[in-house]
Order: sequence, then structure tokens, then C-alpha cells
Amino acid sequence: MNRRIFLLSLPGLAGCTMSSRPRLNVYNWSEYVAPDTISNFEREFGVRVRYSTYESAEELVAKVWSGNSGWDVVFPSNTYIPPMRDQKLLAPVRHEWLPNLGNLEPVYQSPSWDPRLEWSVPYMHGATGIVYNSNVVHAAPGSWADFWQDRFERRATMLDDPVEVIGAALLKLGYPLNSGDAVQLRQARNEAISIKPRLRAYVNAEVRDQLIAGDMLAAQMWSADAQRSINASPALRFVYPSEGFALYGDAAVVLRESRRARLAHEFVNYLLRPEVSSAIALACGSSTANAAAMRLLPEPVRNNSTLYPGPNLLARGQWLETLTPASQRLRDRLWTEIKSA
Amino acid sequence: MTRLRAIFLAPAALVMGALFLAPLAIVAAYSLLTRGAYGGLSTPWTLENWARLADPIYGVILLRTVAISAVSTLLCLVLGFPLALFISRSGSRKNVYLNLVILPFWTSFLIRTYAWMFLLRDTGLINTALLALGVIHQPLPLLYNDGAVILGLVYANLPFMVLPLYATLERLDKSVLEAAADLGAKPWAELTRVTVPLSMPGILAGSILVFIPCLGAFLTPDLLGGGKSIMIGNVVQNQFTTARDWPFGAALSLALMAVVMLLLAAVVRRKGAALL
Repeated sequence: MNRRIFLLSLPGLAGCTMSSRPRLNVYNWSEYVAPDTISNFEREFGVRVRYSTYESAEELVAKVWSGNSGWDVVFPSNTYIPPMRDQKLLAPVRHEWLPNLGNLEPVYQSPSWDPRLEWSVPYMHGATGIVYNSNVVHAAPGSWADFWQDRFERRATMLDDPVEVIGAALLKLGYPLNSGDAVQLRQARNEAISIKPRLRAYVNAEVRDQLIAGDMLAAQMWSADAQRSINASPALRFVYPSEGFALYGDAAVVLRESRRARLAHEFVNYLLRPEVSSAIALACGSSTANAAAMRLLPEPVRNNSTLYPGPNLLARGQWLETLTPASQRLRDRLWTEIKSA
Repeated sequence: MTRLRAIFLAPAALVMGALFLAPLAIVAAYSLLTRGAYGGLSTPWTLENWARLADPIYGVILLRTVAISAVSTLLCLVLGFPLALFISRSGSRKNVYLNLVILPFWTSFLIRTYAWMFLLRDTGLINTALLALGVIHQPLPLLYNDGAVILGLVYANLPFMVLPLYATLERLDKSVLEAAADLGAKPWAELTRVTVPLSMPGILAGSILVFIPCLGAFLTPDLLGGGKSIMIGNVVQNQFTTARDWPFGAALSLALMAVVMLLLAAVVRRKGAALL
């Protein structure tokens, strides 16, 4: 590098270090804000946002577990909120700083994992069901029992996630999704092994391409990902299985380590605005927990039963819960048996 | 003289100490702790994680892993030896060929693995071409099985076999080959009775360099195998991610390392002279 180039770069360097605008650090799932969500917030509030994304809950946990991660606002799934609270990682939610909290749907004003929203603010939600190709599969699979039948020419996949595979097997057997009962769990393991020869793979959302292209005829899938596949290939259909299905939610939390709790709340409150939340839900194809935002969505989206199943369907859903250490350990052992069977 | 030696050794010793031995000590310490209620680490100190390794299921998975790794290594050798021989005898074009061998490293491993998925899947390039040519009438299930896993491992590790083989073959004393020919050895006899025995150090080095990464593989069985038949690397990875059982994961990975070291020690004891 010659001297002139070095000197030319100095003003840029100054720009990095000398800005006096406060900086908020936000760590979120990938594809979970609209393209202008962050820039609009920066402009309106005169702040900078360091925004980064993760692909799995493990990535988030690994970062924030130390209590010294440098992030202010993160978006854990509901099952991670009680452990993070117990680990003293979360700052209490200051309702007086969140006037938009009332926009949330009533069910998300008091979710089972945080009934008084003391630690978390629901953001988006989803469910696990079955997506199938209606051009080829004529007998629609309406239940997990149907999914277990041999009707997909061995071109079906399940999620690569012990909670989902064991959960579906438990539901098929008529047991609770979050069962910690060893007998029920062992039966579920047998069910999961019995379907394995008819499965092509255990694979997560990446299977979308293969559903769209027709490689796979059916898959256990998360609702938002299913909807994205359906948008690309209208022959695909999504089913909420009749025995029941897993429900999960992602929530915004302010970390206890944050030194900008006020600004972090401003950001969460901004996300709760109807127009911001509906723009995010539209851009990402996810399901907002915000009732006011839902009313702003275009009719076809609002009435889409995959993204917004409505109270009758939802009544069959079961919220994923945090597993006890003993249940977690047994399930991991059974998962290893299933995967190596 | 010894002082000079110490000075020259210091940087490497420092790097090994700080970046290998210290983390290894931490892993060893983790393996003696207890999983916290929601993951993480907690006391008391215990040998329980090591006791859990006695569970036969992990032995079965380990055997499977060794088998898949051995087949992959053998295939690498079968494919890599002729290639290395060809390169070592191609005169001025050697460097071009060597660069071609390492060319895949210019792209991320993940992207190359996804590329294989696009080739192998039911609507992938290979099946589409075969269907169009009328060779098959149903797509072949090429992706998501052990064959795809072995293919992925061979593909990823072939350069590690070719390069040490090439280095050995390149240094092979040509006069020995000439002597063999003069004494009436046909090309095949020359290859099997002179070239191969003399290149044993390269074959061993290459096999070790391929076998060990295969043992620890977890991405390939996940992506190309569809997670249907796991290798020991997947079990370790799962402990650190989904199961959040770091102490058990630490014990598993140390046990895997011990297996590798025992295998290496056995090879070196028997073939040590050839390696040196």
C-alpha cells in the first residue's frame, strides 16, 4: 500500500470510530426482518444498529450463554425462554416502555412459557405439519397415521430434529407432544424406526427445493417453510395433522447484559407497530403474533390457513415445552437409536 | 547448538501448546464435568460421561464409521495411485495437473457438497440425463444413502491421497525401474513388485491423511446421507448442538481421538521404518 492510498483511507477510518450515535446490537434468525426494517429504525431514531443473523437456536445459545455476548436484543424460541430466564440472561420486560404491546393477539399476551410477558415479547409463530404434492399423492394425508402409511413411493422426509420426529410419533400414538414418560417415549422410538425405511432422509427446510421440483412427494415441515414451497409450486398442500401438532413461537428478549435497555425496548416497541410487523410477515412469509399487523395483511395472506390456522385448528396444537434434563437425555439416547437403526 | 534448536522450535511449540494442547486440556476437563440443567457445564466432577461410552450403541456406530472410512480410504487409494503416477510422469505439465488436483479447495466445502446434491438428486443432472437417454425409466435413488456418503468422502479427501503419493513417486529412483526392466520385468510386475513397494511411505501417509478426516466427518453423512445412517462425528456434533450435553460430547470426541491414536500407533509400529 503506498502512502497516498493509506492517507485516502484515513477519513473512512475516522467514520468508523468517531460516530457519536448510539449503537444497538440485534441478533436474529436469518430471513426474519423486511429489507427496510432496520434502516427505517436507524433513520427514525438516529441510531446505528449492528444486525447479524443465526441459522439455529444452538448458535444463539452458544453466543449468549456466557452473559457477555455483546448483543442487546435476540429472538429465542419459546422453549429457550425459561432456561435463559433461570440462567439470569434476560432483562425484565418494562411494559411501560412498550405502549404497542397491546397490539399482540390475545393468545400471545399470555403465552404458556411466559404468561405475564415478564421476560419476552412474542414475535412470530409457527407449527409443524405435513406438506405433500397433490398432483401425485391423491389420498391426502390428513393425519400422522396417514403419513406413516406407504403412500409416497419412499419419497418422503422428516425433519432432522429429535423434538419433531419423536414428537410426531408421540402424537400419532395419542400421547402428549412433550411427554417425559419413558414407556411412551420408547413406543415413540419404535414408531419412528418403523417409518424409517419409507423415508428418504431426515432433512430440515433445505428440502423445500426438492418438494418444489418433485423429488419428494411429502415432508414433515414447518408451516412458514411449507408456505414458501407452496408459493413456488401450487400443487403442494399443507396439512395440520388431526392427532395434533407442535406449535412454537419466537420472541424478542432484551439481554440482561445490555447497557442500552431503553433503546432495546424502543426497538422492540418499533417491531410491535402494526405496519412494521405486517411488512416483516409479508417479506419473510412468516406468521406474526401481532393482531393489529394481521389486520393490515392482504386478504389472501390473512385468510391463509397454513400461516394463520385460526382457533379451530389451533385447538389441536400443543406448544413445545422445555424438556427436563432427564427427558432430554432419554430422548437423545432414543434419537441416536433411531438415527442408527 | 542446543540453544539454536530451542529458538527454532519455540514458535511451533508455542502454537501447538496454545492452539492444540491447551484446548485439548479444556476438552478433557469438560469430559469430567456434569451437564447443567439446560446444557452448559456444572459440577460435580464425575466419570459418568466416560461410563456412558460403554453403551454398545456407540460401539456399533463407531464400527460403522470405521468401515465407511476404510472403504473411502481404499477407493481414494485406487483412484489416487494411478493419478499420482500419471502426474509424476507427465514432465513439464506436472504443475498444471497438481494445480488441478487442488483446484476444488478454491470453493467452500459446503458449496461443493451442495453441488453434489444437485447432481445426485432425483431431478438432478445425472438422473435427468439418464432418463432423457432412455437408460432408466425411474430416477435412481442416488442421493441420501451410504453410497452417496462414501462418494462425498472420496471426493473431498482425494487430494490428500494424491499429494503425498505424488511426492513419493516423484522421488522414486528411475534407475531402479530401469534395472527392473533390464532384468526382464514386464510393466505390471515392475509396478507391483517395484513401484508400489517403494511408494509404501506415500501410500501410508496418504491413507492416514484420508482415513482420519473420514472418521470425524459429520457434514457429508448429514447432507449426502440424509442423516439416515449416522457416523460417530454426527453423534459428537449432536451432543454439542441439539442435546447440549457438552461433557458427554467431550468424552466422545476424546474417545474418538484415542481410537485414532491407537490405530496410528499400530500402523507406525508395524510400518514405522517405511514411514521414515
